[in-house]
Amino acid sequence: MSLAVIAGGIMIAFGALAAGIGNGILFSRYLEGIARQPEAQGKLFGQAMITLGLVEALPIISIAFGILVLFGVI
Amino acid sequence: MELTPKIKFLGMTFDVTVMIGTVVTAIIVLLIVFLLSRGRSMKPRGAQNVMEYVIEFIRGITNMMLEAKKAEKYLSFAITTFLFVLIANMLGVIVMVNSEVHGAIPSLGITEKALKTSHEISWFKSPTSDINVTVAMAFAIALYAHFSGLFKSPKRYFAHYFQPYALMFPLHLIDECAKPVTHAARLWANIFAGEVLILILREGIPYLTAVPMFLWIGFSVFVGCIQAYIFTVLAMVYISQKVADEH
Repeated sequence: MSLAVIAGGIMIAFGALAAGIGNGILFSRYLEGIARQPEAQGKLFGQAMITLGLVEALPIISIAFGILVLFGVI
Repeated sequence: MELTPKIKFLGMTFDVTVMIGTVVTAIIVLLIVFLLSRGRSMKPRGAQNVMEYVIEFIRGITNMMLEAKKAEKYLSFAITTFLFVLIANMLGVIVMVNSEVHGAIPSLGITEKALKTSHEISWFKSPTSDINVTVAMAFAIALYAHFSGLFKSPKRYFAHYFQPYALMFPLHLIDECAKPVTHAARLWANIFAGEVLILILREGIPYLTAVPMFLWIGFSVFVGCIQAYIFTVLAMVYISQKVADEH
């Protein structure tokens, strides 16, 4: 087993960790919002999904580079 | 990781898979738009409704960033970007064409060394899962934004680098460099990670990985739509930052 496998594993793990924390904060606030104002659910859902796409970007970049390192491409 | 056939031409390396994918995407987008916009009438029926819905959807994005009169100028650009990225994202989820290779083919860039990692050649996948395609699109959009700002008012364009203080100039430079890089990497990484996971699940034990694979394919379709939307929104944000009038 080479060091690249460990490096790729660490990159993927931290990406997953960061995505978990970010999405947790995002959706907890989203649920708080609809608990306070249930009629705003339709509006908030679209906004939450857009923010999900923005938040997910950096962890997924780390995961993609982790995959590249893991398979020995770079 | 599967291999991709590559051709060397004029000292540059061309990835055949990406070229096939880009051309097929362009043809599909052309066909969709062409067929949906035939036989227009004032009372929209059937296919025309679909196209009008897409146009109204993108008009919502452009109107969010710029005032309605100026937004019309960028509407067709935004529709083209959105449809191209959306179809490109969907293609890799729906179709994957792979073939097996057993000997080295130097003319397609498949060497003995590369064969040690994989025996599979991919002929068709999402063009957006290759970083060169997304970087090219993001840099083209960045250039377009900069030149739009420059031709609109050169004085204001250069002045905004020194606002609010002259000391902020290095930060503005880093910002301008980071924008196209993150814009490209965001789209590429999402599609690439999705495709690699489909590939890994496909090669696993069928009894264990069949259900997760179908769930992940469904999620990939969702991610593809969201990323196409976000790519268009960010493109319009970067352009509007350069051309919008300050109030």
